[in-house]
Amino acid sequence: MSLLVDLFGYLSIILHGLVIVGQSVALGGVVFLLALARPFAGGLPDGEGLVRHTGRIAGWGAVGLAVAEASMLALQGAVLTDTLEVGPGRVVGASFMVAGLVKVAAAGLLALLLLGRRAAPGPVLLGLCGMVLAAAAATTHAAARLEQAPLLLAASALHIAGASIWVGGIPCFVMALGRLRDGHSLRQVGARFSRLSMLGVLCILVSAAVFSLLYIGAFEAVYGTAYGVMAGAKAGLFGLLLLLGLGNFMVVERLRRDPATPVLRMRRFAEVEIGVGFSIFFAAASLTSVPPAVDLAKDRVTWSEIVERNQPRMPRLVSPDRDALALPTLQAKLDQEGAAARLAPQAAFVPGSGELPARNAADVAWSEYNHHWSGLFVALIGALGLLERAGVRWARHWPLALLGMAGFLFLRSDPEVWPLGEIGFWESLRDVEVLQHRIFVVLIVMFAMFEWGVRTGRWKRPGLALVFPVLTALGGALLLTHSHAIANVKEQLLVELSHTPLAVAGIVAGWSRWLEIRADGAVRRWSGWVWPVCFVLVGAILLSYREA
Amino acid sequence: MRRLPLALVALMLSVGPAASHAILIESTPDLRLVPPGAVRVTLRFNSRIDAQRSKLELRRDGKVQAVPLSPGAEDTLVAQLALLPGAWVLRWQVLAVDGHITRGDVPVMVAGR
Repeated sequence: MSLLVDLFGYLSIILHGLVIVGQSVALGGVVFLLALARPFAGGLPDGEGLVRHTGRIAGWGAVGLAVAEASMLALQGAVLTDTLEVGPGRVVGASFMVAGLVKVAAAGLLALLLLGRRAAPGPVLLGLCGMVLAAAAATTHAAARLEQAPLLLAASALHIAGASIWVGGIPCFVMALGRLRDGHSLRQVGARFSRLSMLGVLCILVSAAVFSLLYIGAFEAVYGTAYGVMAGAKAGLFGLLLLLGLGNFMVVERLRRDPATPVLRMRRFAEVEIGVGFSIFFAAASLTSVPPAVDLAKDRVTWSEIVERNQPRMPRLVSPDRDALALPTLQAKLDQEGAAARLAPQAAFVPGSGELPARNAADVAWSEYNHHWSGLFVALIGALGLLERAGVRWARHWPLALLGMAGFLFLRSDPEVWPLGEIGFWESLRDVEVLQHRIFVVLIVMFAMFEWGVRTGRWKRPGLALVFPVLTALGGALLLTHSHAIANVKEQLLVELSHTPLAVAGIVAGWSRWLEIRADGAVRRWSGWVWPVCFVLVGAILLSYREA
Repeated sequence: MRRLPLALVALMLSVGPAASHAILIESTPDLRLVPPGAVRVTLRFNSRIDAQRSKLELRRDGKVQAVPLSPGAEDTLVAQLALLPGAWVLRWQVLAVDGHITRGDVPVMVAGR
């Protein structure tokens, strides 16, 4: 159970992200159904199919929402009953639990109605969506605010509704684009969805303005607090979504003039919008777990501290001695004490104990060295990707550079465990972080082999080529959630200030590679340059990474 | 441990310490140095909290002593402490009304008689 408590912060962010995804797809799907699919069903060649599939997408979104929300409630309930040493009855009455149970019930009913054979009445669907929306707003920051709570609750509901109408509706839009063939139908559906999206964007902008004023409050808080940094990352990704939406709007306008306009670009942009939109949802989940910037008057990072931390310096390419690290130093001392007392020496660190290991200046140097060498590997990958794009044939072997990086990380990421340290391989896996690092290394190796097979033509199935963009974008999104495991301690925030651009660059790299594979024409050409440039940027950021 | 660069090829599942949501704004009286005996302590947070599902503990040398809570404002935890001389830690765990659980420690130094 103690492990569950340790993992709770991170697990709850991931589950919350999944809740937002399910919620948006369900609510956005219902809006798409009622505002687009049903009204147009009679006039479209495959109107009934559009209605049926929209219902399915929204229905499965509702299933996902119910499952994710129930899992989150179970997790929160388990942590509360364990830490408070009370029975489940005491926890069920908590307001977040009541709101969550309402949401699960409403989502369950939505799923039954949307996946059932008979068409559910619109007002009933809207009523259930309203319940989900109200319950969702009741578990945002706004619910716990001491001041301006009604305004903030309304803004939260507006924000969730806007994101659902726009981003949550895109899966249905992609489905519709795949089913419709004639230019007239495409224009009709495209134009209506554009209007819905604009409504969604308006809701987001109005609510974001309220949040900026009441949750952030000052420009200094944008870069000086975890909340501000994450909100900035969200805004950046939101800008990217707007650009993609603008691209789609232009295709719809062209369809108005020429019904024969190809719509492949619109489909591909919409796919990317789903990916970027869902990444924003995970950033939003992460944002709900930190206090609003206005509450943190102390311990903000100042502009001069950021400038000082980012002064250009030569990368650290020589490693400190492993014996100088905090844990080996402490272990040597404990060994001496044990020998003096003729007792078995105490372990300096017990994997899985939940205690944070000691750190000293050598640990900082060790970490910076790891980041800098990894930066060299990533920059090399990006440079080879650019060369490949420029037509240099041998550069297509760039995935092999990942194998070198995997080996480097295997050796260096956890110096206190095998092969460098005293803690055995199997014993070390009890530490969640070590376990993750090991999994990470295995995944890099698999990833390298996959992409190398694709690049050299050994594996020809088109789906395999998508492994690289999907995993890169997913990793960027997860990094965005990771960066949130902070409580505005200055040092951690200074680290986050470098990791957030890395996450955004990862997301852009992944989805631009997706476009290179799946789009055509000019989009394919320019996106082929974007992702290697992102890798070079990631490498450069890692090379300038500093912890002190 | 931040020895592994986080964003390398972007596959990482990672774990951090529990994220913070409700934060402690102030504790009264100042507990950095207090005389021994009974003291009524008030911890004030930045958000509305569910005091029924929150707790306070006094900790010292691995021993944990639960502290009963008294009624207080919607953003506070109030308790009556009976303090003995020495260095203590007052650990709080609060459930914010929006469902976030947060923990923290307040060092307490009780002067000798």
